[in-house]
Amino acid sequence: MTQKTRNRRGFTLLELMASMTIFLIICAAMFGLLQLSQQKYSSESQMSGAFQEARLGIDQIVRDINISGYPSQNMFSKPVSSASYAVGPVAWDPGYPATDCQIGACTTPGDYDVILETDLGDGNVSWIRYTLTGTTLFRGVLQKTTGDPNTAPWGTGVMVPLVSNVMNNPPGALVAQITAEYPTLFPGGAPQPVFRYNCATPAGSQPCNLAPTTYNAPKLVSDVDVMLIVMTQTPDMQTKQLKLMELSGRGHRSNPSN
Amino acid sequence: MVQNKQTWGRKAESGAALLIAIFALLLISVIAIALVVTSGTDAALGGNYRTSAGAYFAAAAGLEEARGRLLWKNPDCIVNRPLSPPNPNCPNATFIPTVLTSAAGYLPNMQLHDVRYILNPLNGETVDPQSANPSDYPDTEYATEFAPLAGANVATIPSIQQANIAGLPGPPYKWVRITPATEKSVNIDVNGDGTKDPLARLYYEPSNLDSSCRPSPGLIPEGSPVLLNCSPAQQLPSPTPTGVQALEVTSLAVLPSGARRIVQYVVAPLIISASVPPSSALPPGMPTNNFPAALTLDGSSVTFQSPNPWGNSSDCAPGSLNPAYCIDGQDFSNTANGVASISCTIPSGCSPITAEISSQGPTNPNFYPGSPINPISTPPNAPAFAPTSVVNLSVPQPPSQPLLQQRWQTPKTLDAIAQDITNSADVVINKAAASGSDISARAPTMSATNPMTIVVNGDLDLTGWHNAAFGLLLVTGTLHYDPDASWNGIVLVIGQGIFSSSKNGSGGIHGAVVVAKTRDNSGILLTTPTLGPAFFGTQSSYGSGPGLGIRYDSFWTQQAQGPLSYKVLSFREITLAN
Repeated sequence: MTQKTRNRRGFTLLELMASMTIFLIICAAMFGLLQLSQQKYSSESQMSGAFQEARLGIDQIVRDINISGYPSQNMFSKPVSSASYAVGPVAWDPGYPATDCQIGACTTPGDYDVILETDLGDGNVSWIRYTLTGTTLFRGVLQKTTGDPNTAPWGTGVMVPLVSNVMNNPPGALVAQITAEYPTLFPGGAPQPVFRYNCATPAGSQPCNLAPTTYNAPKLVSDVDVMLIVMTQTPDMQTKQLKLMELSGRGHRSNPSN
Repeated sequence: MVQNKQTWGRKAESGAALLIAIFALLLISVIAIALVVTSGTDAALGGNYRTSAGAYFAAAAGLEEARGRLLWKNPDCIVNRPLSPPNPNCPNATFIPTVLTSAAGYLPNMQLHDVRYILNPLNGETVDPQSANPSDYPDTEYATEFAPLAGANVATIPSIQQANIAGLPGPPYKWVRITPATEKSVNIDVNGDGTKDPLARLYYEPSNLDSSCRPSPGLIPEGSPVLLNCSPAQQLPSPTPTGVQALEVTSLAVLPSGARRIVQYVVAPLIISASVPPSSALPPGMPTNNFPAALTLDGSSVTFQSPNPWGNSSDCAPGSLNPAYCIDGQDFSNTANGVASISCTIPSGCSPITAEISSQGPTNPNFYPGSPINPISTPPNAPAFAPTSVVNLSVPQPPSQPLLQQRWQTPKTLDAIAQDITNSADVVINKAAASGSDISARAPTMSATNPMTIVVNGDLDLTGWHNAAFGLLLVTGTLHYDPDASWNGIVLVIGQGIFSSSKNGSGGIHGAVVVAKTRDNSGILLTTPTLGPAFFGTQSSYGSGPGLGIRYDSFWTQQAQGPLSYKVLSFREITLAN
């Protein structure tokens, strides 16, 4: 009988409350950890997404630079329309195609804008434009004409977003915060060019703006350094800091200049 | 009964614990898998990018292997050497079909259906571009560019990567294909006739002109006209004697991850030929003369200083062993051949040169023999090997006279030629004031069987350098020549355009010399359409003589190049269908 009664005993209120308290404490800790990991995951996921987007963008830009300048004029028997061949690896303005402008003083190519010339495989020469507008890097493709490459109909529908949240030239409201948090990314607090150009000189490839004037010409661009500083969509949920990262690549023109 | 009921109830509670445990495990597993999947996706994305770029560079490495091996200087060359006998270090020297030219030795001459592959399989795998098996890396691109591969004349050799240092794998490209280029294969209508001809091979014609008579070197389909001169109009069908075949080099790389890239070059041999081929057919046995004269003074305003006569003018004849200072257009390698002694491009005529020659004494003109005309003699246009042969290339000439290509007559285009030479040189000496010892130190293996291309970016003073050199010399500053040195080949003084000599000696230059001013005194490229004032001067104060002068030699102008390199005319990436 005693045995039977003992077997039928439930938990005491004290036992129940103690166990529930322990359970709730453990649950609270677990949910806290879960929330923390969710925040972390969300931040890292955003970082990863931004990184991937920028990396694919750089890969696309570098690919286009590598094949720029195809076909050059020496692939033809006689002068053809300048729309039929690549005058250089990059188109320029002003003066295109007769007179080179000095890189640094050109409207394009510039720190945030470049128009590449190449055949993308369809037998026609195309202009491929990359331009940073606000914080979005756009890419557009137009079939080359004999007109001015800068004023060609680059409009909505032609220029499509390639990489978002590009902070090379951050908007005014964010400049102070970004440069304060990432001083090494913005030496002197100055905006950073997306495109830097190297020109072919007898002494080898040199930054165009440091090369002798004769060789500072879009036609002679041999390499383009591409640097993207991208930011996540939202600040870090834990630290509330802006998350930025820098990616870089270099495209090398293999086609000869005219 | 009660006991039994209780026992059954405890068993039921035990089951609930198991379910809860399984549920908890399931939950943990799901979280774990989610974490693994997330990180795995990131790794895969990163991996895709790396392998894509890796495949691109691997394919580019394949292109460079083929381009490098096309050059006869490469120890694994696949094109015959211009010298005789062929390079013994190249067991595959006949892999690419060639033709022996007098301009630059052996040059590629691939027929339309000739296809050559360099294969680079990894250990144990099969690479067979002709296979239908997708795992053998078949060349599906060839049919797009030419015709089904089954009908082609195919030959293969292994990549040099196969003999790589053990344990160090080379770039993982699978094959490199070398073919002739056509309009269809490069997907360009190069002559603007509205069609992309699949049958006509393409040639690179360096002496082609556009309708405005401006230099327009470029690709031309075989059989299409090449405009060589405008006044009088002179056309030859491609390939002209200075035209070279364009080759298409295509490389496939596939990485173990599956990333595939195909890239393609169009390349052409780089040869240094300054002359326009004669409009009349060359007699049998006559070589293509790469230069119009033993000495070409290039530009509309040149200064020429002639030494006093030295020796006997009869010793200017090829084969004479007695010393005499001559600028001689008679070909020392082919006594039936010859070019002018001196050519100029002064619109008002070469009278400053001929007057200087005559001013050094009545017999002095006899030291400037050549072919085929003699403007000093009466009547002009005397037979070959006239006593003095100074020819003005800026006015119409007899059909047999080689002219100077237009691209050798403007600062911009001549500078581009100098850049091509520099880019393919064996030795580049960047020194403001170089000497002969710099050449000895940098080119110790230069010899008659190993001619080299030497570029001096600066002045070169050969005083005291008593050696024999072989090959091509380009000096962008002042060349101070000491005739105790001999140079067998081509001497180009392009840049400041100053050639001076004031020493005694018994050596000479066998080959051809060109002097042209393309840059101002600061080294900046002239922006004028015409060249600046070049200078060629040999002083007259000697004891043992001013050397042998300049003796034209078609053998050495050929041997000095043959070709210098394979120039990249274009590069593109081919989009893969799959």
